[in-house]
Amino acid sequence: MAALSWTTAARIASRELRSSRGKFFFVILSVAIGVAALTGVRGFSSAFRRTLMVRARSILAADLSARMFQQPDALQVAQLHAISSNGVRMTPVTEMSGMATAYNSLDPLLVSLKAIDPSAYPFYGTVDLQPAMPLQQAVGGDNVAVGEDLLIRLKLHVGDRIQLGDAVLHVAALVLSEPDRLSGSFAAGPRILMTLQQLESTHLLAPGSRAGQRYLFQLPTRDDRTVAKLKTQLEGILPEAQVTDYRETNPAVTMALDRATGILSLVSLVALVLGAVGVAMAMRTHLLQRMDSIAIMKSMGARSSHVLRIYLIQTLLLGLAGGVLGVALGVGVQLLLPLLLAKLLGITPELHIAASAIVAGLATGLLTTLLFTMPPLLDIRNVRPILILRRTVEDNADDSAIGGLMAKVRRSGAQIVAGIVIAAGITLIATTLSDSKDVGRVFALGLGGVLLVLVITSTVVLALLRRLLNRTRGSLRPVVRHGLANLYRPGNPSAALLAAVGLGVMQIAAVFFLSHALVKELNLSTQPTLPNVFLIDVSPSEIDGVRALLAKQPTVHGTVEILPVISSRILKVDGTPAAQLKLQNYPKRMLQTASLTWVDEMPPGTRVVKGIFWHTGEQHAQVAIGERMAERLHVGVGSRILFAAPGAPDHPVDAEVTAIIKSDGQHVWSRAEFLLNRSALASLPMVYYGGVHADMDRVGELQRELFAKYPTVTVVNVAQAMETLRNVLQQVSLVVQFLAGFSIFAGLVILASAIAGTRYRRIREVVVLKTLGATRSRIAAIFSIEFATLGLIAGFVGLVFANLTARVVLRQLDLDYHFLALANLLSLLGVAALTVVTGWLASFRVLGQKPLEVLREE
Amino acid sequence: MSANPEHTLTPAEPSIRVSDLTKSIRNGTRTVQILRGISFDVAAGEFVAIVGSSGSGKSTLLGLLAGLDTPTTGSVTLDGTAISYLPEDRLAEVRGRLIGFVFQSYQLIPTLTALENVLLPHELNAPAKEQAAGLQRAKELLAAVGLAERGDHYPVQLSGGEQQRVALARAFILRPPIVLADEPTGNLDSKNGEQVMQLLLDLNRREGTTLVLVTHDPAVAAHAGRILTVRDGEVVHDERRVVHDERRQTDTTLPELV
Repeated sequence: MAALSWTTAARIASRELRSSRGKFFFVILSVAIGVAALTGVRGFSSAFRRTLMVRARSILAADLSARMFQQPDALQVAQLHAISSNGVRMTPVTEMSGMATAYNSLDPLLVSLKAIDPSAYPFYGTVDLQPAMPLQQAVGGDNVAVGEDLLIRLKLHVGDRIQLGDAVLHVAALVLSEPDRLSGSFAAGPRILMTLQQLESTHLLAPGSRAGQRYLFQLPTRDDRTVAKLKTQLEGILPEAQVTDYRETNPAVTMALDRATGILSLVSLVALVLGAVGVAMAMRTHLLQRMDSIAIMKSMGARSSHVLRIYLIQTLLLGLAGGVLGVALGVGVQLLLPLLLAKLLGITPELHIAASAIVAGLATGLLTTLLFTMPPLLDIRNVRPILILRRTVEDNADDSAIGGLMAKVRRSGAQIVAGIVIAAGITLIATTLSDSKDVGRVFALGLGGVLLVLVITSTVVLALLRRLLNRTRGSLRPVVRHGLANLYRPGNPSAALLAAVGLGVMQIAAVFFLSHALVKELNLSTQPTLPNVFLIDVSPSEIDGVRALLAKQPTVHGTVEILPVISSRILKVDGTPAAQLKLQNYPKRMLQTASLTWVDEMPPGTRVVKGIFWHTGEQHAQVAIGERMAERLHVGVGSRILFAAPGAPDHPVDAEVTAIIKSDGQHVWSRAEFLLNRSALASLPMVYYGGVHADMDRVGELQRELFAKYPTVTVVNVAQAMETLRNVLQQVSLVVQFLAGFSIFAGLVILASAIAGTRYRRIREVVVLKTLGATRSRIAAIFSIEFATLGLIAGFVGLVFANLTARVVLRQLDLDYHFLALANLLSLLGVAALTVVTGWLASFRVLGQKPLEVLREE
Repeated sequence: MSANPEHTLTPAEPSIRVSDLTKSIRNGTRTVQILRGISFDVAAGEFVAIVGSSGSGKSTLLGLLAGLDTPTTGSVTLDGTAISYLPEDRLAEVRGRLIGFVFQSYQLIPTLTALENVLLPHELNAPAKEQAAGLQRAKELLAAVGLAERGDHYPVQLSGGEQQRVALARAFILRPPIVLADEPTGNLDSKNGEQVMQLLLDLNRREGTTLVLVTHDPAVAAHAGRILTVRDGEVVHDERRVVHDERRQTDTTLPELV
């Protein structure tokens, strides 16, 4: 059977493309921007995530750490060695307390020792020394590096000698910061950093001495799955050890990055779908204009499949052109954004522009274009050749209602199948490309649902408008009446445009709401006054004085956080004595040292995961526990824990678990494992911990001031680590804002081009109106009313769904949703303005055209 | 379906048979009865003009004859094939094989050149191996309508009369047994209209096709051997006439066609 050859089809396709370059420019732009946003946002955010995660790892100085409570046995050592033979690096860190003296004095000072292997430690981050030198030079042989407070207290200088146990050591440098200071133990006393050999030479490490040992691990690859795998493996080998990965050490960073990744995945998908919607709209308009050609070809004996070839080729060409341009733009974005951000943030993410990403971009561009042009392409089958003879083809008044119904079902059947294929395709793209499978699935499902509701809503709104107009026809001004009537004029793609604009508004607004909520949350965790210096072992008699001293310090900013700490033991959990408890990766020994604190209400940086937090004045003993601790102890809301607080005899505190909490690890409260209400503990003996924010480079001054008045108080400087954290979070926030902004911009351009695309078919209408004597301003007024109404309806529907989406997604991400009244109002007006302005811009040429030019072409 | 679509052609059978044809369309909420039970036969080689005022249903009738639309009831049989209720793609094939169509507003594909427009039905319907012969015939037909030099021009570069001549050439490319024309001179001035009409008649005579032409112009209808008058969806008059057209006998200006 003869058929329209592919060559002829291609010839017609390419000539049509050339003859309507303007219109197809918008189509290509839509695809390009969608693909660009997808490749750009995806590539950049994953590169950024990798970079940030490396920084986040520096807070643990490793990918994983295993805190040991006893020496590993021979079998465990062998198993650990087996792990390291797979490319995993491992280094031990031993921390303990000891007494140091100046070499020529006898004043002893409690110090916190940290023994490391300087050739391996730290796996991530750096130890800042003064004078600056490599760690291997500062530590080893006779050399040690010490905290500045040690020199202050012992009145020594760099270069002096100290006596530590049996060893005499030479202070080679000051330790300004250690990357893992925040995750190590907060032992009292100034720091001495040394090698394991040096520690052994002091002979302080005797059996039974309270040394804490950690193993740090570094993986050859940096993906979270391998980390999780190794963690499980280590928990198996070392059942008594407390294994933590870098994600747990930085709940604030991990949460922020996870949320940002989720939201950015969504953002890039949104851009892509917007692009696709733009394409569908443009293709629909294009095919409407080509109805005559299609009808002619059909009257000459062309089958629908022949005609489909032409438009399939066109679609492929457009998708390809858009894809290529989009990938180029996306790569450009990836190359450009880091330059911008590098200036702003001072870090440059490692970039890999992988061939696979380019192929994925192209394939996605093509696939989405094909998917979304399917409904208009399928409509080709319904173009009847009789169109050439008679315009109104509203179909047969088929006497048999069943016949008519069947025809309708047949026609919409194909569209339903198309809808299903689109949904499946988008799900495939979303789940393949999204970094989070959940986000991909939720996105695809949500998109389908929302689109359906939008189409229904648009149809209903248009029907209502029509009824309203029928009633008020006489009383409206002609311009208004024409403008409104245009919306439901036969052939006007109002319902489709309403759905498209509504969907666009929904997605753009949702991106804004989501990124806004995330950024707001990030701002909370990047407040410049979060504590970065911790005070340990402040006695009740000193606390008021310390408070007063801190208040007077010019280097101290923000609130001073004070935490009462009561050392306690756990006697029973839910009636089971401590000795019989089955614990998960938690040595029973730890039950002997539970640190309790009391608070009147939920402290900042804390979130209740389960249960309810008490309010001021609660009389019954209640306890709030961190999620992780609750898992280890196998307790939930309603469980009871019996603590033994110090006293003679032990003072038992039987508290009910009323809240499982999550802390961002940024405040002093996260240092206590068990939070109780005031009345349960207030009368017991306690010491205080404090947290203040001091200027990073002036912590030394604060230490000296405190030491002068309160020599027994230990000052732990985590300013460096906190600064790293703050930077990372700020970077996440900036990246989210940047990429969301980019996506919003892309979305607006696409929306504008979708609207502009519909204007091309209005030439004839403009010409007729002009011929009948309508002035340009009158025509512009009619169009303005039509488009403003369209914008307002679409904007309203879109915003309703945007708020709903934001609410659902934010709940998933554990973030708070707030209705932003002003933003919503401005968005609504903005959408109306955008539709009108775009309408005008696109009609500008049309309005200027001489009627005869068009009529001659007709 | 009332007839066997693959019914074989016998010499005695008419070229076109219309039986009790009705057509109604829905326009908004109203149903409009356009054709109300029309029946007639057209013999092979006959030239029939369908006349009637605007809105009488003549163009709808022509559309149904061409299988461009489906009747509400009744049937159309072309060269022994009942076409009315065939599926769209089968109809397309029948149209390609049996019918040449000339429209009032030319209906050329704007993105194809004059030559490509003429060739299009051939491309759509003839076997691939005959494409070269098709091209040859398209060129000859273009020459026959006086546009040999304009083959590379796009429709927009041609005048109305020239576009309609291209459309004429296109209608004849497949040597269809039936040519249907809808107001072929309706958009042209009288001089161009007359020229197109003469070309149509000449081509028709040489190709020996059955010609059915819709017009409201008595001068055009006067060329036909039979005039069907349609009013309010019914044939109210069926007149057979003797035509004296000297040109039909004497014209030798057109080259013979392959």
